[in-house]
Amino acid sequence: MNSLRLKAIVQKEFYHLIRDYRSLYLAFAIPLILIILFGYALSLDVDHIKTVVIDYDKSWQSRDFTTKLNASPYFDVVAELDSSRQVADYIDHDRASVAIHIPPDFMKNVRADREAQMQIIIDGSDPIFAGAVRGYLTAFAELYNSKLLLSFLNRQGQATIKTPVEGRIRIWFNEDLESRNFIIPGIIAIIIMIVGAMLTSLVIAREYEDGTMETIKSLPVHAGELLLGKSIPYFFIGLANVLIAMLLGQLLFGIVLKGNFWLMLIATSLYLICALSLGLFISSVTKSQLIANQAAIMFTYLPSLLLSNFVFPIINMPQALQWITYVVPARYYIDILVGLYLRDTGLTYLGPNMIVLGVMCVVMTGLNYVLLKKEGL
Amino acid sequence: MNWPRIRELVRKEFIQLLRDKRNRAVLFVAPIIQMLVFGYVVNYDIRTIRVAVIDYSRTVESRKLMDAFEGSRIFSITHYLNDEKKFEDLLIRGSVDMGIKIPQDFASVIRRGQTAPLQIVADGSMSNMASLRMAYTTSVLEQFNRGMLRELYPQQMKYGRIDMRIRTWYNPNLESQHFFVPGIVAFVIMLISLLLTSIAIIREKEAGTMEQIIVTPLKSYEFILGKTIPYTIISLLQLIVVIIVATYWFEIPLVGSVSLLFFSACLFLLSTLGIGLFISTISRTQQQAMMMTFFFILPFFMLSGFVFPIANMPEVVQWLSYLNPLRYFLVILRGIFLKGVGLDVLWPQCLSLAILGTVVFWGAIVRFKKRLD
Amino acid sequence: MTLSPSESISVSQLEKKFGKFVAVNKITFSVKKGEIFGFLGSNGSGKSTTIRMLCGIITPTSGTGMVAGYDITTQTEEIKQSIGYMSQKFSLYEDLTPYENVRFYLGIYNVPQDQWPQRIDWILNMTHLQDVRHRLTRELPPGWRQRLALGCALLHRPQILFLDEPTSGVDPVTRQHFWSFIRRLAADGVTVFVTTHYMDEALFCERLVMINAGSIVASGSPSEIIAQACPDKPDADLNDAFVSLMKRMPD
Repeated sequence: MNSLRLKAIVQKEFYHLIRDYRSLYLAFAIPLILIILFGYALSLDVDHIKTVVIDYDKSWQSRDFTTKLNASPYFDVVAELDSSRQVADYIDHDRASVAIHIPPDFMKNVRADREAQMQIIIDGSDPIFAGAVRGYLTAFAELYNSKLLLSFLNRQGQATIKTPVEGRIRIWFNEDLESRNFIIPGIIAIIIMIVGAMLTSLVIAREYEDGTMETIKSLPVHAGELLLGKSIPYFFIGLANVLIAMLLGQLLFGIVLKGNFWLMLIATSLYLICALSLGLFISSVTKSQLIANQAAIMFTYLPSLLLSNFVFPIINMPQALQWITYVVPARYYIDILVGLYLRDTGLTYLGPNMIVLGVMCVVMTGLNYVLLKKEGL
Repeated sequence: MNWPRIRELVRKEFIQLLRDKRNRAVLFVAPIIQMLVFGYVVNYDIRTIRVAVIDYSRTVESRKLMDAFEGSRIFSITHYLNDEKKFEDLLIRGSVDMGIKIPQDFASVIRRGQTAPLQIVADGSMSNMASLRMAYTTSVLEQFNRGMLRELYPQQMKYGRIDMRIRTWYNPNLESQHFFVPGIVAFVIMLISLLLTSIAIIREKEAGTMEQIIVTPLKSYEFILGKTIPYTIISLLQLIVVIIVATYWFEIPLVGSVSLLFFSACLFLLSTLGIGLFISTISRTQQQAMMMTFFFILPFFMLSGFVFPIANMPEVVQWLSYLNPLRYFLVILRGIFLKGVGLDVLWPQCLSLAILGTVVFWGAIVRFKKRLD
Repeated sequence: MTLSPSESISVSQLEKKFGKFVAVNKITFSVKKGEIFGFLGSNGSGKSTTIRMLCGIITPTSGTGMVAGYDITTQTEEIKQSIGYMSQKFSLYEDLTPYENVRFYLGIYNVPQDQWPQRIDWILNMTHLQDVRHRLTRELPPGWRQRLALGCALLHRPQILFLDEPTSGVDPVTRQHFWSFIRRLAADGVTVFVTTHYMDEALFCERLVMINAGSIVASGSPSEIIAQACPDKPDADLNDAFVSLMKRMPD
């Protein structure tokens, strides 16, 4: 490896980048947009579910029910309607997601120790949301029923009966249960894929298309030098992006790295190198910017978004897809990010993930090297 | 309108696009793959909750508690532990979603009619899942409570309680896929039409063939048509492919009118092609075009109501989403696929798409003409 | 401004400024029909800008011009239909075959479809590309590509042919064939407006104009120019004339 030649290659690549200032702006603008978008606009947490209640009973019991429902952080009773005909209006216009009908003989039934039915309508348009709503409703009903049972028993003369078991739930990692806290760190993985893989996926293909690859092949340039030279500028841009993203996450959203900064740096570098190698690989194989473009989106960006446990849980996926996630570098990196940002874990936990990333780096680099050598470098 | 000219332009574009075998493959295979992956990935239903338990009590009662959890189809006790350290470790590693510590005096406290606190630790990393898990936990605990109370006080146990009959409107089976697959259709179409249009124009610039085009009597609107028509056709072809996957593989019902679907797709394409055109005027290289495409697609995608409900977003963002063509197209798609509604219901969305599309396309053309001259 | 019937191009006081920079400084010249006209100048002399104005690609800052009977400011569409242009850098579609390229430009130039089969054959035969009509253009040697570019510039039978350094990078034999072809075209009445750096080729031109720093420094037949530029050098050639003229500042 000749350091002078290497320097020349790196310099040329830097010139390309800087002269192509639009790409450079975008390379920084996109991560910024992502963080702001995901941070402010997106929330996966389901709470303050807009509920309307149609209370035909208007009794103490029905009031009690409604009040307790409203007191729950999950439900927000936004209106009490007089008739169920208004329900469709509320639901169709997204002013409510749940409508609860309290029947006219609600309290009477409860007092008479009978079952009191409630008709509930959930807006199923968004099944994720609806599923969660259902879960919370059921939990609330169970809680309420237990309270009813207790008061029943109390009335029977067992005045001092208490609930047998009380769950003291403590949340570890992400105590305030904000989806933002795991989304923002995860974005870093996506940013790296965009900057590291998608950008580099064009660089070698472009040289093939311009015909300059021919020239390069005729020069005394080694495959290793070319790979390294092409990667270095993007490595630094990627790293800069990560640092900016981390800073933004902290300044705008208060999301702080709990783990060791150096571990973060090392893990990020490993993942970056994976991304870069992946991009260069796509570039060398396709030799066409048009195809490299689409291949990059399919094989770098989408997997990092969909198959990495970023927002879509891997354990919910069919087996076949779960197996595929094992070869997605983003999966391991996101695991590391969760460990560093949310769980404050150490090397024993992060180690295996980093090793896998390391292995992927070596494999990808090796592939790239072989590919270039085959081309005559 | 010089049709032979435009026809030749379109023909040339198709030759260039479809000549490379790989391109053909990517154009029609990629959407299928994307459909399949997206279709199976987006799923937040809780299938299992993995629990680790330390039972300090080891009594019939604690056994009953664990059975209550196991008895629900969702919870699965994967680890029975003695060791606090291992308990923590499992949580940190993410090997379990929840940990329960049953205190030593569990049984005696309950039998005395007092409340036994149950230490539960939940992994909050994925907060939306965690919240739901807690809800399920509450349900199980309360059922256990009532069962326990029944045991302790076996009197006539017909007490007044509420019975929730839950009905879901629209999508009664809460099939995630029914909800998402129409959205994926939109996304796939958007990506291609946006990306390819902008790149197509820039490639002429980069290859230098614009030089020759400029000296011909070709008018700029003819050039634009020659570039946008091929990608409209390709996008519509992809639409067909993607609809086939949706209906045959995912078995999404297609209840509504197919012609309305294609009509609204064309309206949608007005916007995306316009944006692609616009991108081609602000980019000089294919790399820039690609990055720019991304710059636009990400917010459009995120803020369209595709995966993340718009209603959950801050006011400002909700207002902005009115400028997002994907938002309207999504409503139309879901309407046509799932509800089978027609133009009488969907006309606001179609109108919005038409207006948005016309404005964007017109603006792009104006800008394009200025650049060309 | 009107063209006299024997002229195909005529410009008067043609000027083009880019901001403060004067690229073309009020030049005046004319070209006869069927003439082989040479437009010489070093790089950056205003050559390309002038050609672009004549082709109707850019509008002059001031001055007038007529090409093929049309005004270069107001009738650019018509001009484009009447001229053929071959650029310095190859600008046809490399991922199309010669056949596909010709067909494409036939459509662009609005040649009536019923004439296409004969036109296509004519062009491919003329450029000796019939045997490779279905090979990708990028696979053809540079000289052949040049021929294709020439063919595509002629397929709509233009009155005037603009050639921007048409023979750069081409071997001497092919160059000779090229020029005999040009001469045949001119004999058929096509005006050929050519720029070149090859002085031996410039000798083929009936008349020349030399431009430097936006202004014309010499015009006339090659021998006239040589006599004008190097009066004291009896066996001077066009090369010497060119060098000597480019050194001089225009008055």
